[in-house]
Amino acid sequence: MKNKHSKWLAMPFTVWSILFIIIPLFMIWYYGFVDSEGTFTLDNILAIGEPEHLKALGISIVLSLIATVICLVLAYPLAMILSRLGVNQNSFIVLIFILPMWMNFLLRTLAWQTLLEKTGVINSILSFLHLPTLNIINTPYAIVLGMVYNFLPFMVLPIYNAIIKLDKDVINAARDLGANGAQTFTKVIFPLTLPGVISGITMVFIPALTTFVISNLLGGGKILLIGNVIEQEFTQASNWHLGSGLSTVMMLFIIISMILSSIFDKDAEGGMF
Amino acid sequence: MKKFIERFYVAIIFVFLYAPIITLIVLSFNKSKTRAKWGGFTTQWYSALFENEAIMQALYNTLFVALVSSIIATIIGTITCIALYNMKSRTRNAMLAVNNIPMLNADIVTGISLMLLFISFGFKFGMETILLAHITFNIPYVILNVMPKFRQLNPNTYEAALDLGASPIYAFFKVIMPEIMPGVLAGFLMAFTMSLDDFIITHFTKGAGVDTLSTKIYSEVRKGIKPEMYALSTIIFVTVFVLLLIVNIAPAQKEKRLAKERENLKNGIVKKSFLKPRTKRWMNRIVAGLAAIALIIGSVQLYQKSGATQQVVVYNWGEYIDPIVLEMFTEETGIEVIYDEYETNEVMYPKVASGATQYDIVCPSDYMIQKMLDNDMLAKINFDNVPNIKHIDENYMIQSKEFDPENQYSVPYCVGTVGILYNKTMVDEPIDSWDVLWDERYKDNILMQDSVRDAFMVSLKRLGYSMNSTNPEELEEAKNDLIAQKPLTQAYVVDQVRDKMIGNEAAIGVIYSGEAIYTQLENPDLEYVIPKEGTNVWIDSWCILKDAPNKENAEAFINFLCRPDIALINFEYITYSTPNVEGRALIEDEAIRNSEIAFPDLSKYEHLETFRYLGEDADRMYNDLWKEVKSE
Amino acid sequence: MPNKLIDLVNITKSYGDHVVLDDLNLYIRENEFLTLLGPSGCGKTTTLRLIGGFEQPDVGQIMFEGTDITNLPPNKRQLNTVFQKYALFTHMTIAENIAFGLKLKDKSKSYIDDKIKYALKLVNLDGYENRKPDSLSGGQQQRIAIARAIVNEPKILLLDEPLGALDLKLRQDMQYELIRLKNELGITFIYVTHDQEEALTMSDTIVVMNQGYIQQIGTPEDIYNEPENAFVADFIGESNIIDAVMLEDRLVSFLDAKWQCVDEGFGNNTPVDVVIRPEDVVLCKPESGTIAGEVTHVIFKGVHYEMEVMAGGFEWLVHSTVMHPVGEKVGISVDPFNIQIMHKPESEDEEVAYVEE
Repeated sequence: MKNKHSKWLAMPFTVWSILFIIIPLFMIWYYGFVDSEGTFTLDNILAIGEPEHLKALGISIVLSLIATVICLVLAYPLAMILSRLGVNQNSFIVLIFILPMWMNFLLRTLAWQTLLEKTGVINSILSFLHLPTLNIINTPYAIVLGMVYNFLPFMVLPIYNAIIKLDKDVINAARDLGANGAQTFTKVIFPLTLPGVISGITMVFIPALTTFVISNLLGGGKILLIGNVIEQEFTQASNWHLGSGLSTVMMLFIIISMILSSIFDKDAEGGMF
Repeated sequence: MKKFIERFYVAIIFVFLYAPIITLIVLSFNKSKTRAKWGGFTTQWYSALFENEAIMQALYNTLFVALVSSIIATIIGTITCIALYNMKSRTRNAMLAVNNIPMLNADIVTGISLMLLFISFGFKFGMETILLAHITFNIPYVILNVMPKFRQLNPNTYEAALDLGASPIYAFFKVIMPEIMPGVLAGFLMAFTMSLDDFIITHFTKGAGVDTLSTKIYSEVRKGIKPEMYALSTIIFVTVFVLLLIVNIAPAQKEKRLAKERENLKNGIVKKSFLKPRTKRWMNRIVAGLAAIALIIGSVQLYQKSGATQQVVVYNWGEYIDPIVLEMFTEETGIEVIYDEYETNEVMYPKVASGATQYDIVCPSDYMIQKMLDNDMLAKINFDNVPNIKHIDENYMIQSKEFDPENQYSVPYCVGTVGILYNKTMVDEPIDSWDVLWDERYKDNILMQDSVRDAFMVSLKRLGYSMNSTNPEELEEAKNDLIAQKPLTQAYVVDQVRDKMIGNEAAIGVIYSGEAIYTQLENPDLEYVIPKEGTNVWIDSWCILKDAPNKENAEAFINFLCRPDIALINFEYITYSTPNVEGRALIEDEAIRNSEIAFPDLSKYEHLETFRYLGEDADRMYNDLWKEVKSE
Repeated sequence: MPNKLIDLVNITKSYGDHVVLDDLNLYIRENEFLTLLGPSGCGKTTTLRLIGGFEQPDVGQIMFEGTDITNLPPNKRQLNTVFQKYALFTHMTIAENIAFGLKLKDKSKSYIDDKIKYALKLVNLDGYENRKPDSLSGGQQQRIAIARAIVNEPKILLLDEPLGALDLKLRQDMQYELIRLKNELGITFIYVTHDQEEALTMSDTIVVMNQGYIQQIGTPEDIYNEPENAFVADFIGESNIIDAVMLEDRLVSFLDAKWQCVDEGFGNNTPVDVVIRPEDVVLCKPESGTIAGEVTHVIFKGVHYEMEVMAGGFEWLVHSTVMHPVGEKVGISVDPFNIQIMHKPESEDEEVAYVEE
């Protein structure tokens, strides 16, 4: 599809992204690097080093990492099972995973509150069955659960997509050359689906890192994540400079994830579908 | 056995994914308005839903924005993929990196940055700005889904079409499009879903009176989410689910039939091909999509009343007025009300300050009024146009002087106190002091307010200090107490005290008096008390903005709200105490009319205060201390 | 003599710094089966794509029946291409594929139906109208690709390694099929391949290309028997290529021996290359050969034996129906007519000589 005019086709996107992605980004950076008087300062950037910010960042990273790992561990076998269900189910599977998103995010998360509370649905069922009750609401566990719940589809879909694209003969070849099930997986299947995995990790880790609604609703507001700090600076403390500064620091993680995904996924194969 | 385990695993995951959905569906049939209690089966919310014009309009807006933004994003994204496909890999990678930014950036940063952009470029906030924002964050999802399809293309196919005489455009639509169609559709669907689910970005880029379902739901948070929303979500979900089943099952059966026919016909080996039904399905979907566009554009035009001459732009708390009052106002005065909602003072402030939307009238709380006064954002009210001010309780006018020293800028609308709500079955002795919130016996049974000033108010008042203290030592002491209290608290919440207390989740909670009345109706075991150390008397008042384009209409609006019968309607809807004496007198239910919670005799209590704006430095100090508490 | 149908004039084409075609001149006559032959990267596919209109030359002109079509887009050219990977439209039936070009020309339905029938019959796939490309074998798909192209009655059919993906037996069948097709249709074929045997079997004219230059143009017999340089000789079948010095007309010296030949005009004591086809090497008694050596390898090839003989410090490749066992001492002689003398390339860069017809 070589066409000398095709360069012009990039124009709408180029213009659009300069207007609505790049310029706004610079505005955030501008805010991050000045104080309320408009003089240059590094304070808003260096504020990440303050103990409560560092702590919030640390907890955010730990919880998002745990959520990402759980998502990966849950999603990979799931994707493998789904991929074996057969042809023409492709779009159906994709839809079944994004369907919950058609119920509002806030409502879904609030529903988890109803499920998890001390006197909630799950505990009512458990106590009816004379089983020990589950007390994870308002703890980090509930936050991780919320993250896993909300972002699991973003892990399943790219992996599923990578697996169904696998050439079955490659797996057969590995078996033929003497690899057992586990070896075939670790040496052949997993490396080949790595672009999907990386894409999934990015799509789970980054939103989990910046979330604040989940920690507010399921963490009982007792655990301060970096997302909460930024949100608080913007909406409660009205300190946009600090909010922008911290956001700028958070972009580091985005850049890191971009570098990672460009290393592992040179051709941007890790599409969702 | 292996198969069983696999099936079981998939089943578990789906239970996990769909448990909250089912919960919401069940809640939509709950007679009780609170999610914490099952009040019996009802379908009343469904009928209420279709009568609720605001929700229906938000639904139209949501679908309109989602559809239009995802269609435009799909077009731009697909075109971009053609260009990317032909690019050198270095340029392509750079562009893909830019493309990733909106997807990976925190929503709030994207939202704020777009708002800053729109302000500095002088965009008029409205449907258009929402669309621009949604297109921006939708394009990446389209590109992410379409690009891999381009990589799978056989480049010769396009050339073959050209070779056979097709023009480049014809060749693209006839040959390339069918190949990339699954990616395009998936991208469209993803974009549509993301647009549907977005709140934060919409919030910062929307204009007055343009609500989507998300912003509507969020603005309802403070007063409790209306069960109609559960009903609506259920309808949307079930509709999509059924469509999904039809779309997927029908072709599968047709496919089977076709395959059989072909087999009989040829009597040879027929390799299964799924392409034909799939193309048909796309056609169906596209036709359905076009129909939907027509429908939505039609309805958008329907409700967009053409150029009313008289209007007033109102920016109010979510769920803070009975919608019927707005209708009555327009009916009586001919002034159209453009109505917009916010969730907190702090969210309202930057939107008003930025001037992105020209509001006439807002309803901030006490300290925020003072802050807006300090920043010269309010206009003096001409009380000749507000004769009904005489119905407002003199006590609250006096209390208002804390932030509006000469009663020139504000008219009290809702008032109340902050106190302790406790469950009599879980707390033995009567409670009269903030001290109970530090009582080890109620560990994990205490709900604190999740906002800086309210939390510090509790701590400062308990220590006997002013809740407007700016003394660092007093604040440090209050902070240390809050840190000491943290292990005892079950959660820091804002609006969910109500539901959690009704559901017997906690024994003690800090709550606004307006909520207390409602919670008692739902759960008679709950008792509200104003602690002896004193508390916050809060006042939400109507203020007219300095540069209000329709100042007289705004005054007419305030005057209307101060009419006793209107105040009564609003009180019954909001349940927050009204400072309108005549309005209160009209309440039929004697118990409520004389309720000590709703209408406390302020002279009986000591140490009552109202929040004042403490200035930027003090604000920062409070915030930093609060962060220390929260991150502990 | 038939007209020039296509005339490529001074064509240069490069991608970035890499020059793919350098000042190429070539014409194709009407009704010719012309093959562009060469190793990958030699510029043959680029030449074909230039004719097809998928690429534009940096310099030069492409003439079609005397008119300049250099900048004409592919959809406006009166020629059609059969692609290496078939490039069938997988979402359409076979009939829809074949009808694609005709529909664009607004042909009547009955005309199109007739054409589809005719074309499918021509490629021996009657009755496949409603099948999908996915359900056909590689060979069948290739025939459909050909059918799709020829229904448009192009003046020229361009074929880009069309048989490359097929197995040997099928490839041979298709070669005959293509020749039959060409004869039935009476149109010009421009064929790109890297398979010299394919080229020799089918072509009227072969253009041997390397590194963007034409090495030799000629009939298959010319190319095979009279390679003009070492590259052509080596690429067209196996050869013994030996450093030599042209002592005088009709006398050449190599491997420390003097050999009679028939070439003239190289001057005296000129360094040259000598090409001798393996089947032209005659093995005899050691004493009766021009030089003597020893058989080092023997392989049975069916029609003949392939042997390697070490003689005069050079490993000779010999094809013979008579077997000489390993270790046997043999003499080597060559008929003067079978000693092909070629100019040496002037420098390393010009390993390939530029030849104009």
